[in-house]
Amino acid sequence: MANNKRNATLIFFIIAGIVLALLPLAIKKDNVINLLVLFLLYVTLASSWNILGGYTGQTNLGQAAFFGMGSLVTRLMWIGGIPFPISFLTGGVVAVALALLIGVPAFRLRGVYFAIGTLALAQILFITVGNIFPDMSYNPDLANYQIVTRYYLFLGLAVLTIGSAYYLVNSRWGLGMMAVREGEEAAESLGISARKHKLLALTISAFLTGLAGGAFAFYHVSYYLYMPFGAEWTFDPIMMAYIGGTGTIIGPIIGAVFFVGIKQFLLMNVGEYHLIIFGTLFILIVLFLPGGLVEVWKRLQNRLSRSKNHERSNSSNTTNH
Amino acid sequence: MLRLEKVDAYYKELQALWSISLTVNEGEIVALIGPNGAGKTTTLRIISGLHKPASGEISFMNQSISKLPSNKIVELGLSQVPETGKIFTAMSVYENLELGAFMKKARKGKNQSLERVFEIFPRLAERKDQSAGTLSGGERQMLAIGRALMSEPRMLMLDEPSFGLAPILVEHMFETIARINEQGVSILLVEQNVQAALELAHRAYLLENGRIVGEGNGKQLLSFESVRSAYLG
Amino acid sequence: MIESLGQTLAYGILVGALYGLVALGLSLVFGVTKLLNVAHGELIMFGGYLSFWAFSMLGLDPFLTIIFSMVGLALIGVLLYKLVFSWTIKFSEDVKIKNTLLVAFGLSVILQNLALRFWTADERSITASYTGVAFTILGVRFPAVRVISLVVAAVCLIALQLFLKKTYTGKAIRATVQNWEAASLMGIDIHKVYLLSFAIGAALAGAAGTLVAVNYSVMPSMGLEWTMIALVTMVLGGLGNIPGTFIGGLVLGLTESATSFYISSNYRAVAGLVLFLLVLIFRPQGLFGSKEG
Repeated sequence: MANNKRNATLIFFIIAGIVLALLPLAIKKDNVINLLVLFLLYVTLASSWNILGGYTGQTNLGQAAFFGMGSLVTRLMWIGGIPFPISFLTGGVVAVALALLIGVPAFRLRGVYFAIGTLALAQILFITVGNIFPDMSYNPDLANYQIVTRYYLFLGLAVLTIGSAYYLVNSRWGLGMMAVREGEEAAESLGISARKHKLLALTISAFLTGLAGGAFAFYHVSYYLYMPFGAEWTFDPIMMAYIGGTGTIIGPIIGAVFFVGIKQFLLMNVGEYHLIIFGTLFILIVLFLPGGLVEVWKRLQNRLSRSKNHERSNSSNTTNH
Repeated sequence: MLRLEKVDAYYKELQALWSISLTVNEGEIVALIGPNGAGKTTTLRIISGLHKPASGEISFMNQSISKLPSNKIVELGLSQVPETGKIFTAMSVYENLELGAFMKKARKGKNQSLERVFEIFPRLAERKDQSAGTLSGGERQMLAIGRALMSEPRMLMLDEPSFGLAPILVEHMFETIARINEQGVSILLVEQNVQAALELAHRAYLLENGRIVGEGNGKQLLSFESVRSAYLG
Repeated sequence: MIESLGQTLAYGILVGALYGLVALGLSLVFGVTKLLNVAHGELIMFGGYLSFWAFSMLGLDPFLTIIFSMVGLALIGVLLYKLVFSWTIKFSEDVKIKNTLLVAFGLSVILQNLALRFWTADERSITASYTGVAFTILGVRFPAVRVISLVVAAVCLIALQLFLKKTYTGKAIRATVQNWEAASLMGIDIHKVYLLSFAIGAALAGAAGTLVAVNYSVMPSMGLEWTMIALVTMVLGGLGNIPGTFIGGLVLGLTESATSFYISSNYRAVAGLVLFLLVLIFRPQGLFGSKEG
């Protein structure tokens, strides 16, 4: 990636960050803020999944387990009287503990087995939590509810997630992860411990997802405690990551924009079709455009720069069938 | 009967075959010899349609087959006996042979083909209802060849039929191949056993590192150092 | 005490047979194509809805509606293969499996929401005139509906086995399971085999859907639960081992039954999933599968 390109992207992110930070001061409408919160939550979830799924190549279908765990712990502690910051961080830590507990045996499974194994795990938690906590959880402190605080929490979390992903990717650890993705045996023969890299990716991913759960618990006034363990909290972020482009920083963000955008657009027009359209888009991308929208963009750029006779800055090779 | 012209092939990004050209005329036995990893199996896989060539032309009986799927190529009368047979171990000998005659036109002559195969390989008749997984190495090769014969081929390609066989079985194997050829089946034989291959074949090609480096009959190929050392070594 | 043990056993077997049928279609498709269709539960769901429709609109006996669910699902299976899964075949080995998984769950999202559109989120169930009837033998209760379901499941299994063993097409399918390249060299059109397997697998899912609608209920969100049951059953019986699926079903059924009776019915499904994880980690070829899979 040429240096000026990297700088341009960085500047773009900084500007976007500033805009988002100042937004609540300008716009006071609650439904806009809520929409942005949803967007930021999805950015966090999709990006943190991407660290394990996109960069390290391990298809984790149990992300809802971490999301749910983080939210459960945070909510119970916070409602129980413990100050929110502590509850929040504990949620993330517990999610990590869960990840390490299952990660060690789970990574003995390869490929498909890992995917369906993590799926089973999330289901186990969903059912178990639903049995132990079947009731709605109410926020007793409704009077002091401030949406803007929550907004900034989500914004900070999204920035943290993207920042972590960016930092990781450009570090030696990130290179190792991508090597593991391309082929575990080959990576091992180069001295890269697949197990360590997978565990690191899992830990970071779980921590950020757990924090997202904690923020979720802080944000929702009342909800069923088992709700965040539901499969849609795994599947939707994965679809976003793929549509945007896994294995890139900006991919999950684009995916989240699309998801929330299409959902809003369709809700205004035709009802619940948005998931059908999104699902179709997802399948098309997996089958025909594995690099997602990021790749579409790159290909367009290549075509444009070729027609202007400029030096190609990137050549992404995708083999044709 | 079979003609390859300037065929290139790749495995992922590595080139495996460079501009391969060879022919097998009707009634001939042609051998493709060369060291391990030279690309002999790749060549057969390309001809059979299990792998697509990057460029070049392949034609069988004057029909282009480079873009045809494997099952269509078999329908034209070109059958392959793959390396180590690849027999269906969870099925009986009889079922394996039955499947060899899967094609509609071969199914009609199934019983005659079975008789023919049992006549060439009496051992298979004995073990007709046994599970193919219980057969010995030599018997598996027999089954693989028999299975391919069930498709009533005009031409048969064999990938290392002597692999892992005791010398006396090798001799028998090559006698059988000669017999099959006498019955009117053209043969393309891939072999590491240079001696036996050159004795049997009318002509041979030498494949080294993905290129055809020599062609001719036994005497002519002996002029190659590599062939000589394999022959005498 | 003996009676409750007997009841647990009976119930486990009856449920297990249904689970076997639930997994049978998935097992066939996986064995032939090596693709894991995690939208299988949604296919079952559609089968259930088709049966429900035939039952309520045409007044057919619930078990006769299987004709509708099987034919309807066979058509859907063909459609899904041609539109979606036939493209996944073209990927290289390592990518193929992962991409199929993703594509399949994309499908599950689409199918779930289509069902939501067509039939709303209401839970529906088929109640036959004989739904409450049960035989009692030696103090153990055998609900009629469950017994008939077991018979249906057994018939499907036997029919499939006969097809695979006695017909040329069936043998071609078995050959493809063992070695698709060798099968191709016999003149077998692999694409046709894949297509047929998908159609049959979907039809079996349809039949399972009918049984689910009669014994339980159907709603758009039920897919994942039944996909998990199918996966667990498949893994327990051994991946690629088609008759083994029923044994896997029995093991799962008995495990769930025992958990329901002796611990709590709330954790019925959890027990199965935990067993699943244990088997995956310690014996991935399943309890009865061979390493070949």
